[in-house]
Amino acid sequence: MLGYWLIESGEKERLMELLRERLIECGWRDEMKALCRSFTKKKGRENVTVDDLVQVITPKGRASVPDSVKAELLQRIRSFLASAAL
Amino acid sequence: MAVPNEDNMSAQLSSHFFGDLLDSIIADVASECHRIVRLGLDRNLEEEEEELKLSAQARVRVADSSNGGEANGKYVVDIFGQTHPSVASEIFDCMNCGRSIMAGRFAPHLEKCMGKGRKARLKVTRSSTAAQNRHSRGSPASTYSPYSSSTSTNRLSNGTSSVAGEEYSNGTFEEP
Repeated sequence: MLGYWLIESGEKERLMELLRERLIECGWRDEMKALCRSFTKKKGRENVTVDDLVQVITPKGRASVPDSVKAELLQRIRSFLASAAL
Repeated sequence: MAVPNEDNMSAQLSSHFFGDLLDSIIADVASECHRIVRLGLDRNLEEEEEELKLSAQARVRVADSSNGGEANGKYVVDIFGQTHPSVASEIFDCMNCGRSIMAGRFAPHLEKCMGKGRKARLKVTRSSTAAQNRHSRGSPASTYSPYSSSTSTNRLSNGTSSVAGEEYSNGTFEEP
């Protein structure tokens, strides 16, 4: 229910944009792309699927988000939840 | 007290939403990388990036040396007391692919431009590949005397001494 509200108000979009921007700035995105490239070289160009790449990136991706970025996003989400709950 | 409970729930929800956002972004990156790999765009991208980087480096080196280059220890003076930049700085257009290239980076560029690309090999231009035209049989672009495009069997069948004499005097013989 709250998730629905998050999307409807456009906040989810804004949050996603913010997160995307921060992750690009700190080089996280480039790291992930490098992971994809090295995986592709091993597995071969023709055999790579999107699922493969998602599986490759997810554990490292979740772990390597910089603390400051995570904190900033969490803060924004929390304040949004607080304002929405009122 | 209600506050810690709310905080707890809020913290959990926030983490949950954050995880959602992160998963979406991860899926984005994965899908984009997949697309690039399957379309083979990364190979072209890397080559071009490398070439651009190298020519930018060359340009920087030239600019540096023309500004005095005190840090540049490679200053060579020839017998007239002139110095030459380490990288030839003139910029012109490659006649093969049409890009603007620095003279100092032309040789490596030609390697890539004429060597690897399939399209480069298929393209036939008049100017510098006139020699190639002469060797290719039956090429209509060849403007030399008609004898040069004829096959060797033709020449043998002609056989008359006058024709052979003409060929030799023309000097259009390309046979090794």
